[in-house]
Amino acid sequence: MKPYEWMVTYTPQTEWVERRGILIWLSLYAGILGGGSYLVSLYFNNLWGMFISWLIIAVLKSGFHVAHAERPLKLWRMILRPQTSWISRGLLITILLIVFGAIQLAFSYWLPGTAGEIVFKVLTGIMAFGIMIYAGFIMSYVNGIPFWNSALLPALFIVWGILSGLALVMAIGLDTARVDIGAVIAVSLVLLIVAIVLIVLYLWTATYEEPTAKQSVRELTRGYPAVVLGIGVVLCGIVVPLAISLSSYLSGNIPAPLAIVVLACEIIGGMAFTYSVLKVGLYSPLIPA
Amino acid sequence: MGEGIKNIFSSFKARGFDKVTGGKMTRWSMVIDLKQCVNCYACMIACKQEHFLPPGVYWNRLLVGEIGEYPRVRKLVYPLLCNHCKEAVCVNVCPTGASTRREDGIVTVDPDTCSGCQYCVIACPYQQRTLYVDKNKGYFPEAGLTELEVMGRKLYPLQPGTVIKCNFCMERIDKGITQGLKPGIDREATPACVNTCMVKARHFGDLDDPDSDVSMLIRARKGYSLHPEWGTEPSVYYID
Repeated sequence: MKPYEWMVTYTPQTEWVERRGILIWLSLYAGILGGGSYLVSLYFNNLWGMFISWLIIAVLKSGFHVAHAERPLKLWRMILRPQTSWISRGLLITILLIVFGAIQLAFSYWLPGTAGEIVFKVLTGIMAFGIMIYAGFIMSYVNGIPFWNSALLPALFIVWGILSGLALVMAIGLDTARVDIGAVIAVSLVLLIVAIVLIVLYLWTATYEEPTAKQSVRELTRGYPAVVLGIGVVLCGIVVPLAISLSSYLSGNIPAPLAIVVLACEIIGGMAFTYSVLKVGLYSPLIPA
Repeated sequence: MGEGIKNIFSSFKARGFDKVTGGKMTRWSMVIDLKQCVNCYACMIACKQEHFLPPGVYWNRLLVGEIGEYPRVRKLVYPLLCNHCKEAVCVNVCPTGASTRREDGIVTVDPDTCSGCQYCVIACPYQQRTLYVDKNKGYFPEAGLTELEVMGRKLYPLQPGTVIKCNFCMERIDKGITQGLKPGIDREATPACVNTCMVKARHFGDLDDPDSDVSMLIRARKGYSLHPEWGTEPSVYYID
């Protein structure tokens, strides 16, 4: 963008998607993936799934945030304003999930079926849901970027998180045989359809609500963002998993390599979706029309 | 009255609480007359000089745009700075409490508390915040920092890794008030961009005072702010 175009025409946000901002994209997605996987693993009582999800949040998500921080030693201050700031809330939720999750994993491994395990499962489940939803709220709170300023965004992140979680649990469950694969496939199918409906609704509402949001949708349909949306989100995130899930649902089982393909596709799809939304976030021009 | 008591009163006054006028609140505001503005960029340079701002960082800008189509094209120029919004989104989203709105309406960032997360940069719909990164970046990269730049880093030390923005030259306002001066009237207590404007297109004063220069201008010439529909209630108004 030329200097004379700054805030005179539609201006894209770059802080959270370019250069060091890539770390924010990765940490947001790691939160969605980790939170969704944790919730699904809790539901299916899959200890490996819970452990991997905990690692995704404790190591990947937190690591990306620390790597992005300009002044990491001051990160602790970010828990001070949960009353108004979604970043504060998110950090608190992340810390609580790491702590509750560690205790719950210990209970589940050494003292399964105890009251302590149940209590910490509930607490960790709430935090896992919180991690998924806060990523959406961080973005939807920004009213300066009309494309993000939508209640559908948190819902979409939740759906994508749970879809990725189901794929992860399905891949793990094939090996340990402790997951009802049929149920996982059926829920995945339903959620894939819900995801399609939500994405279409999200883009459709953006095109008529606000000119800047409409411009964001236009940006999604051309150039590099269009490739990311088409190959990443539509093909990898929806079409391939939908085809595999449908054939598996009809045949009654899913071969292990295909389960791995679904997991890889869901992760690529989720990352591509988060990236696309971040990339086409535009500010409205400041000069009155 | 002892010196200590005087200082306490001065400190209250600097934050908008004027004991003498019975606790009247202040909201510092700027009105920019677009008809007067000659697009000379002097305000931008004055701001850079006042705060020793490094290359690529602007607390004051001039937006130049066009509306209409040939042959009926009109050039629009909007001097732009932080709006010091009454409902400042940047303050709400700040997770550390570094961004605050003082009682006199000035929105500031405390560099000692800022963690550099940039949520405020993202959240500001007017895009008036910048992350200050490299303190060794000078205007003449081959020659290193000039003497003036070295002096500037000492006189106005910006902390790398923190978010910076226009502060309505609050140092001048605060110092001026403690000396009994009136911002917007006395040059020593008035923002640098207002002082430097050769056509007097910029006016500074108390928006909560109905008799102030800015309040009267807004009333008489139907002053407007940028994008009032965002509900941020800016303190910078334009008249044309």
